[in-house]
Amino acid sequence: MTSPPHGELESVSRLVAQVEGAQTADALTAAVGKLAAVRNPLAIPCLIQVLGFNNPGAAGAAVGGLVAIGPAAVPAVLANLDDYNYGARAWSVRVLAAVGDLRGLETLERALAQDIGPSVRRAAARGMGALQLHGEETAQRQQLGERVLPQLQAACRDGEWIVRYAVAVGMEGMAGWWQPRSESLDLLQEALQPLRQPTSEDVPVVRLRAELASARLRHHAVVAANGMSS
Amino acid sequence: MAVPDSAGSAPPSAGLAAPINEPQALGWLRQTEDASRRYYAAWWLGRMRSGHPEAVPLLLQALRERGPAASGVTAEPNPVARNAARALGKLGDHRAVPGLLEVLEDPDDGLREAAARSLGALRAVQARGPLLRRLASGPSVAGAQRPTISRLAEPCEAMLEALGDLGMVDLDDPGSLLAVIRPYADHERPVIRSAACRSLLQLTGESCWGERLVGLLQHEQLQVRRAALLDLGATGWRQAAPAIAATLAENSLKLIALRGLVEESPERDCCDATPVAAEVELLDTMDRLL
Repeated sequence: MTSPPHGELESVSRLVAQVEGAQTADALTAAVGKLAAVRNPLAIPCLIQVLGFNNPGAAGAAVGGLVAIGPAAVPAVLANLDDYNYGARAWSVRVLAAVGDLRGLETLERALAQDIGPSVRRAAARGMGALQLHGEETAQRQQLGERVLPQLQAACRDGEWIVRYAVAVGMEGMAGWWQPRSESLDLLQEALQPLRQPTSEDVPVVRLRAELASARLRHHAVVAANGMSS
Repeated sequence: MAVPDSAGSAPPSAGLAAPINEPQALGWLRQTEDASRRYYAAWWLGRMRSGHPEAVPLLLQALRERGPAASGVTAEPNPVARNAARALGKLGDHRAVPGLLEVLEDPDDGLREAAARSLGALRAVQARGPLLRRLASGPSVAGAQRPTISRLAEPCEAMLEALGDLGMVDLDDPGSLLAVIRPYADHERPVIRSAACRSLLQLTGESCWGERLVGLLQHEQLQVRRAALLDLGATGWRQAAPAIAATLAENSLKLIALRGLVEESPERDCCDATPVAAEVELLDTMDRLL
């Protein structure tokens, strides 16, 4: 449904009212889904509020909406990180991980190192690899990589297999932004080692994912080398 | 499949200082005055996969213990024996099999349930006969709800799953095994149907059972969808991947199920360290759920 520009506020307000008036869990999820679908920054406060409602269906829909809005939602999410409401904080970490905005990095780092929920740590690990950088200089990218990689390496010892799996995904993702290229690819290969070997990693699917990451990084390296020689 | 809580089995009891190491856990199991310490120690040794030579003998002793633990720890009957039965399934030591087979005949159905799961985990094919005898009367007797409580006459879910785990090894007459299991695929409870389909898929490889499980992923109750997810994971039936990814349930369980498709599939070549194309697709599906 498209609304005329001047009707935007009105239309979002109507959807917000539906969220606020929902009488059942399913009605709430449906209303949040509609509000999320308009991808309108005016919906941000309401979507953030839903993260604290202890309704996984609705919160999941709200996460989807906030991620679709993207970087514009990040300041509000950061301002509303609620240490007293664990559920809301966990969902917020998922938003920040999926958006990949640099302003959320500190929150992701803290979550990976300290959060009690494996699903939150796994989202953080993936998100730290999937940072969306635009226009940062090589020097800054280099520093960021040197900051992020040791934290992912520490999480190779996480007790939950899914977090270690996400670490492999995160390390592969770092190749998308970490510079300078050839040095960073070498460091990432080295960092993946413990997740690839049966002596240090006992879960087959984690080893397989780390192996895939390693193969993809080798492919990057070959492409990069060919690019330079031509 | 029963959905485990985050602690793996019984949660550590509140108000008790947790043992922090193996010697302490063994000491707690060795003493006999404090049943709640024995209860906790049995859980700990299984959870930590203790390889200590004394662990299995002590757990086998604990398996004979009947009666409640100290008040406030747990409401379940025979808690020490139940935790010992669960732990023995995790330690991979076949000295546990005779003791567990004995417990499979205990009047406490919760204890029979724990023993069935552990015998399946240990791949103890000796358990096949006793399990089949208990299930042979079918959904209307063994699978009937008991008069005063919601539990069934037999712990059917655990027993069906154990039969699937035992596979066809050392089996003379697969037809009679399947004939006992098949009626449970039409049990009135969807979770029992799920367990039966899982078992039949593991035993026969016939995709009709996989399709039935995929159908249960659409069930209106979240508990049923969760059970079907874990059951599909246990079978490693890779055709289920898109349906698993689309299920209305938490990503954590979908990821466990997809891990199962990667690791438990008959197509997985354990010697191959690198993923084949079909596995790359599964891993990509998992990545999107992180």
